[in-house]
Amino acid sequence: MSPAGREVTITIDGREVPAVEGEMLHDAARKGDVEIPYFCYEPKLGDPVGACRMCLVEIEGIPKLQTSCSTPVREGMVVHTRTEQVKEAQNSVVEFLLVNHPLDCPVCDKGGECPLQDISYGWGPGKSRVIDEKRHFEKPIELSPLVAIDRERCILCYRCVRFSQEVSEDAQLQLIERGDRTYVGTFDDRPYVAPFQGNITDICPVGALTNYTYRFRARPWDIEHAGSVCTICPSQCNVSFTVRDEKVKRVISRDNHEVDDGWLCDRGRYGFEMFDAPERVREPQLKGGAVSWEQALEAVAEGLRRAGGKVAAIAGDASNEEGFLLQRILRDALGSPHIDSRPSRGPKADVLRRLAEPNVSAKVRDIDEADAILVLGTDPLHSSPILDLRVRKAIRRNGAKLVVATERPTALDGGAEAIARYAPGQAAHFVGELASAIGGSDNVATPVAETLRDAGKVVVIWGERIAREDGAAEALLDVAAATNMSTTDGAGLLEIPDTTNARGLREAGCLPDAGPGLSDTTAGKSTEEIREALISGELTTLVLFGADPLRDFPDTPAWEEALTAADFVLTFSMHDNATTAKSDVVLPLETHAEKDGTVTHPDGRLQRVRPSASRPENVVPNILVLSELATKLGLDTGIDSQPTAFQALTNAVTLYNGIEDEQIGGRGLRWQDREGATSARTGTEQPGPGGPPEGGSPDTQRDAPISMVQPDPTPRGVASADPPSGGPSTAANGDLLLGTYRDLWAGPVTELNPPLKFLTPQQRVEISRTDAERLDLKSGDKVRVNGIEAEAHVKERVPAGVVFMAEGVSDGNANALLNGGPVQVKIEKLDEATA
Amino acid sequence: MAHRLEKRVLLEHAEDPDLRTLDGYRRLAGGYETLERAYKEMEQDEVLQELEDSGLRGRGGAGFSMGKKASFLPRGDMAKYLCCNADESEPGAFKDRELMQRNPHQLIEGIAIAALAADAGHAFIFIRGEYDEQADILDAAVAEAYEAGYLGTNILGCHRDLELVVHRGAGAYICGEETALLDALEGKRGNPRLKPPFPAVQGLYGGPTLINNVETLSNVPHIVRRGAEWFKGFGTEQSPGTKVVSVSGGVRKPGNYEVELGIPTRELIYDLAGGPEEGHEIKAFFPGGSSSPVLKAEEGLDLPYSFEAMAEAGSMLGSGSIIVCDDRVSIPHLALRTARFYHHESCGKCVPCREGTNWTVKMLERMVRGEATPMDLDIVSSVQQNIIGHCLCVLGDSMAMPVGAMVRKFREEFEEVMANPDLVLDPHAVVQGAPETLGAST
Repeated sequence: MSPAGREVTITIDGREVPAVEGEMLHDAARKGDVEIPYFCYEPKLGDPVGACRMCLVEIEGIPKLQTSCSTPVREGMVVHTRTEQVKEAQNSVVEFLLVNHPLDCPVCDKGGECPLQDISYGWGPGKSRVIDEKRHFEKPIELSPLVAIDRERCILCYRCVRFSQEVSEDAQLQLIERGDRTYVGTFDDRPYVAPFQGNITDICPVGALTNYTYRFRARPWDIEHAGSVCTICPSQCNVSFTVRDEKVKRVISRDNHEVDDGWLCDRGRYGFEMFDAPERVREPQLKGGAVSWEQALEAVAEGLRRAGGKVAAIAGDASNEEGFLLQRILRDALGSPHIDSRPSRGPKADVLRRLAEPNVSAKVRDIDEADAILVLGTDPLHSSPILDLRVRKAIRRNGAKLVVATERPTALDGGAEAIARYAPGQAAHFVGELASAIGGSDNVATPVAETLRDAGKVVVIWGERIAREDGAAEALLDVAAATNMSTTDGAGLLEIPDTTNARGLREAGCLPDAGPGLSDTTAGKSTEEIREALISGELTTLVLFGADPLRDFPDTPAWEEALTAADFVLTFSMHDNATTAKSDVVLPLETHAEKDGTVTHPDGRLQRVRPSASRPENVVPNILVLSELATKLGLDTGIDSQPTAFQALTNAVTLYNGIEDEQIGGRGLRWQDREGATSARTGTEQPGPGGPPEGGSPDTQRDAPISMVQPDPTPRGVASADPPSGGPSTAANGDLLLGTYRDLWAGPVTELNPPLKFLTPQQRVEISRTDAERLDLKSGDKVRVNGIEAEAHVKERVPAGVVFMAEGVSDGNANALLNGGPVQVKIEKLDEATA
Repeated sequence: MAHRLEKRVLLEHAEDPDLRTLDGYRRLAGGYETLERAYKEMEQDEVLQELEDSGLRGRGGAGFSMGKKASFLPRGDMAKYLCCNADESEPGAFKDRELMQRNPHQLIEGIAIAALAADAGHAFIFIRGEYDEQADILDAAVAEAYEAGYLGTNILGCHRDLELVVHRGAGAYICGEETALLDALEGKRGNPRLKPPFPAVQGLYGGPTLINNVETLSNVPHIVRRGAEWFKGFGTEQSPGTKVVSVSGGVRKPGNYEVELGIPTRELIYDLAGGPEEGHEIKAFFPGGSSSPVLKAEEGLDLPYSFEAMAEAGSMLGSGSIIVCDDRVSIPHLALRTARFYHHESCGKCVPCREGTNWTVKMLERMVRGEATPMDLDIVSSVQQNIIGHCLCVLGDSMAMPVGAMVRKFREEFEEVMANPDLVLDPHAVVQGAPETLGAST
């Protein structure tokens, strides 16, 4: 095969079209403005299958018609797409497709946006010669609680099945039976439940797969499409809201290769159904009662003034502009340096600046081309689902080598070359060991290090939560140095933060020790210090913007105490929750379909969230609320609209200096990619990211127990027969070490969302087989863990000595058990009577 | 005793049940001597050259030069594979069954020598699920060959390895298509793959793969033993060698007959297979299995039975399976029965085949019920045209070609049936079941 990539010229329908050698003829034609109809072709799904035969074309020198989707371009190729022979083939394929298609377009949801309809009109014979009975299926039936399948409409293009098998790799969708009896289904007709299943409704070229949330809700001529960004998780996927009568009716992908590769997770796709929940905060509330905006803002201004500077703020789900305004109010109107945007502890500003250096930063697309990928301290499926698909793609299509180092088994383990399991609380130690193992030392991290050493382009996808431990972020920079990231194009670190716009908020100045643009500033208290100061009375007043500490932050009892102790709590919230119940004033937040603002993707890409749907009557744009509040507190920010807020942000944040709204456009702009991008460390004298650790932090010298699980010898994922060596030994009293994780489905997005409610997770305790046997537990047993009731799940891959529980669930939230240090838990089995 | 018109090479000693055993194969046929010589004395290229020079054409249907196909495999250290296609599923074809049942070691020896030519370390025999007895025979023979050191590691001390596995299919016609065979062998749904890449470049598990039919591989030991020139002494210039021909349908002595290619078709059908039953005449025949366009008796009987002559007549020699239709056979019913088979076996991947076979069946059913419209014959014809050449593999063509030929050549008979569905010939007088033994001459 000839090397791809050379520019060549081909002739299509007598016209010269530039192309790249080796690309598929169909793509070249499309770029050359030649439309060739197709159904099954979709490069996002992997190699072409050539099943639908719709894209047949004539190529000179080849006697038979060829599928343009699977024919690589060669120099000088002469192609005809409109000859009689091609037209006859196109006519016949359309005619064949309609032999069994019910042609029920008038009652089909796809009508008006249906490729089969369009192609039938454009390339079909125009009338049918079929008078025979068509095939029949029961219809529509539930493929899953979210997706309906109409098998009579299905044209068997393979797209959904390829998605399930080659993109999400859940392999649940299969073609069953043969010939014209073939249908799409699952084994034993079980429901198709997977976190990305909604994508099959996007890629279905007919009305066979439809969303239950959208069936019969609108027609294409009733709706408008509004491009925006989903801010339900840090992935910040590009979405298009289908809006009818100013309400969101559907969310579909707005394919951005740099961000999401054209896929959405079901949380992002169906999450919009929580916008209209009864729990939605629809007007300002004072002490639980609805009040006017004037009354509310007066009470807020009064409460904040009364604090006399003993005030702190924590931002959670907020845009860059909102975060910027919030920190201005704190610092410039209230004279308080106490602001943070992290649920727990995090690295100091100097370390954050080093982590933000463009030369150690990876962008999402770097995953595609990486030689080796390290997933460290996070399970992307839960923390940034779309990256799970991206990593799978890198392995499947590009042969990237994956290594995983986490506390808890991840969804990506099956594709990993090596897996390391460290005990909860030992992330910093492990990362330190990893850095030295890459450098050549032989230690517990060596199996993982071997894949990364001299690997070329290494991308490290790391979870923010490892940086809760002292020294972890510094050690991560040592890993960056050991893998030569700063001098390797396409290599870098990619953080998965705990909150949706963490990077934007940090860069907007919502940090205790850094102002806008990570600039030096008077040091204030961090999240946990704020909590302690509220309890001690050192601080009296708290502003929460899109943050729900009683659900999302570690150590719920301490937060309860802090909120109770505070004199005045102002909470901006989208929904009523435990935190708003303890707040003096609650102000409504906009949803991401209502908001106007920018957010910053974890890879530094500024993206625009655009207002797409109408706000409830008494919900006011949050930046206007904040600027009004600033004015009331005597600070004239000059901000009275999104453009002025954006202007103020980019002026203040050096990293964003000079970025114009048009540059962000619909695709976003990585600030690092601009000409003359400002380094976060300009003017500071930090050792480069390649700088050697000086003596190591105290943590890296600790003789910590580390559980190393050797990689599976077979790629099939057969569990290793070797017991993990040196695992965290169970304490003498039989207590186990607690590890926690944030479940993908935990939170209001499922609880307040009728279609997704069935996914609401219940608390469970994942326990190793060894410990389960010792405690006489089997999966499904009810247990009590330090006062929390849960169900036991015996997991083959959980290391002995550790149990895992979910954060953020409504009952038995594991955050209640966390206290900033290692937590030992006692597991009591509840018998049927007590349970 | 073989008939004077037969030329038995592959079926020599076929009547002797001892031939099935390793000892019998050695004693009767000098078994494995050629393998020993090839492994000990010949280079890969010599074997390849011999096969290419012989002009041996694939016996599975396409008739492509076996040696040339083997030479397409890239050289190098990557794992290479050899697959023997024993998924003989074409209606009318039963020659591979006979070859495996009576002389399994001939096939194994052929595979081992071909593996040398292809530099393959792993070989598979993909045998159709219904050939249970033959698979058992092969299993036993493979075990004997391992025992004797003709398979396995370090074969005959020559530092060459070959693992041979007999894999039983699940009874799908499509798995005889070489790329569907590979998918099925890999444990996937047996659907054809896009070509290119061709299996020779990227086949089983992504490695270069040589796929050959049972009869093709059974020829290999003979060619390597006696030389390409000897082989070319049989048959015609473009169709060298002998061919085991399955003759079935309206003949008195159905069975397998090994003949030199190029023998007059009339001799095959009349002299060897005994011709039609008393009082009947041959109306038409399929020269190469049910997927070959039918030939009317007057256009086909006097042609030499060779790849080139059948192609020239607008049909094909295919796997070498003649199905004879005498004057009792209703062609419209035959067309329906043929279409039903391919409709049932279509994998459903490509639209024209999936929908075209289904639509054709529905139209033909209406015709024989007398519910067709005068337009339907034209529609049937145009549907066949619309299938041919538009799919990934030739399964759709395999229905479209014979059905199209039947409508074209016997249009009056279709019109007659459509007008008088009750007055037609016996719809069941189509094809008899495949016989259990060699041709009646034995």
